[in-house]
Amino acid sequence: MRRLQWGYLLLAFAFIYLPVASLVLFSFKDGSLPLPPFEGPTLRWYGEVLGDRRLMAALGHSLMVAVGSSLTACVLGFLAAYGLARHVLPGSLWLRGLLIAPMTVSYLIVGLGLLIVFNQLGIGLSLWAAGIGHVVINLPLCFAIIYASMGAQQQNIERAARDLGAGEARVITLVTVPMLAPAILAAFFLAMTLSWDEFVIAFLLTRFEVTLPVEIWSLLRSGLSSKTNAIGSIVFLGSAAIVLLLELFIFGRRRP
Amino acid sequence: MTAPITIASLCHDFQDFRALHDIDLEIAAGEYIVLLGPSGCGKTTLLSILGGFIVPTQGAVKIGGRDMTGVAPAKRPTTTMFQDYALFPHMTLRDNVAFGLRMRGMARRERHARAERLLELVGLHGDAGKRPHELSGGQRQRVALARALAVEPDVLLLDEPLGALDLKLRRTMQDELKSLQREFGTTFIHVTHDQEEAMAIADRIVVMNRGRIEDVGPPTRVYQRPASLFAANFMGETNRLPATRGEHGLETPFGHLAPPQALIGDGPFTVCLRPEQIRSGTEGWALGSARVGDSAFFGTHFRCHLHCEDEAATTLIAHLPPEVQPQPGARLALSVDPAQLSVFAAEEVSS
Repeated sequence: MRRLQWGYLLLAFAFIYLPVASLVLFSFKDGSLPLPPFEGPTLRWYGEVLGDRRLMAALGHSLMVAVGSSLTACVLGFLAAYGLARHVLPGSLWLRGLLIAPMTVSYLIVGLGLLIVFNQLGIGLSLWAAGIGHVVINLPLCFAIIYASMGAQQQNIERAARDLGAGEARVITLVTVPMLAPAILAAFFLAMTLSWDEFVIAFLLTRFEVTLPVEIWSLLRSGLSSKTNAIGSIVFLGSAAIVLLLELFIFGRRRP
Repeated sequence: MTAPITIASLCHDFQDFRALHDIDLEIAAGEYIVLLGPSGCGKTTLLSILGGFIVPTQGAVKIGGRDMTGVAPAKRPTTTMFQDYALFPHMTLRDNVAFGLRMRGMARRERHARAERLLELVGLHGDAGKRPHELSGGQRQRVALARALAVEPDVLLLDEPLGALDLKLRRTMQDELKSLQREFGTTFIHVTHDQEEAMAIADRIVVMNRGRIEDVGPPTRVYQRPASLFAANFMGETNRLPATRGEHGLETPFGHLAPPQALIGDGPFTVCLRPEQIRSGTEGWALGSARVGDSAFFGTHFRCHLHCEDEAATTLIAHLPPEVQPQPGARLALSVDPAQLSVFAAEEVSS
């Protein structure tokens, strides 16, 4: 019975991690095709990736878009959540629904929609456009996470701060934001991982300067190569690092 | 610092529901006032109006002679101690207590010194660097008190401050609240639904019911001579006897009674007897004889159910002194001092 349980566990993890593990493994293969049999290991492909200026530029673009769009989405999401949680507004139920609804729309549709709008407005395709696209998909998420953390207890704490003489700006900066820091940081990092990995919107809305997933896709068009495995491993490492940081410093600390 | 409060013909509506009806109240500087009543009686609404969190529909609030009716909480000489304490979870106790002083622009060193003095005063010396989640309920309560007192308010508003504490701690905190209030001289307004707590700490109790004030006065007077049937019931256990107006006074199941107060209206009336007013003996107004049902010993008294041999077969609850030793089944002759009784116009009371 016990063996069966362990076997099941191994199978489940193999199912999840085998693709990633093989990607990472063949990035160390000494040979141009990332297929068995394994030869090597070598760091040659990593050297090529780090020496590839286009890839490195794309990595930089991806970071910029991820950080910028996540920050924007968090600020907007926080303001929306604060307004809706703390003030009685007409039709606030509808406002909340409208803010969260875009989560159900596929990225492809969001991307196409933005493409049409930008074309109509004469806004050129660029990293800015992709960044705006990522704000559109991440804002509902940031709003939902931050809104959920604003309970009645938190509201009373803000009332206490006002009662002790704090104006609205100081209530937000000294009490609300630090008090909700775990939720806000969680929203920020989650938005960052999503933006970091996002392909469809970035592909549709960028032209000359592209993000890393788009660059990888154009590499793949010229066929499989161990180099793509190396860059894929780097991307995976980035996402995994963010998730790990999130777990260690935010979710881990919440349990006293 | 301290200030008197004047509340003049105050009304408040929540949509269609009238939460406060025509409240008039004068509170002297340095008084300890307890607003007492069942949940939904409007006591917390009244406190929120005093704190500036609710603007009343009608009427005015003056604190220290100045009109404060529409003034924001931050600009009032009041601070509120919230029911759930509402401490800042991300700040140390020192920063919590010093927050109000920081808002007033006091330099860091000075405000930290003052915060630490206050923490010492409430018995949390040496804990200034801790955070609220490291404290017990009673300690959090003390921090909330220190934080509210740090800004030297004229009026401190306490919203069921002891509700979350166990009984023993509640008694200790009652004594501490009272002695702190004496020390600071600040006007305290304290909301509770616990009449024992009210009697233990109040200079004056304000009994409230359905948005109206039923009675205002010092604890002894409100307990012994309540102004209304509701106040009589809420302040402690009572025996209620139905009565009608007779030729020479009141007719009750125990016979004729010369009314202890001037009667208002034609009746019917309700006569209220506190359990401890019932004596075994025949002096004063005799209630005839009764059989002891069950009796329970409470240390200072026996609480007994007494089945009376009157026409209505009334059952009374009495607190008899321990030396009477009331055994179940025993017969006792009962009497009360008529001067201690209260008589009200009869009405339906849910106790």
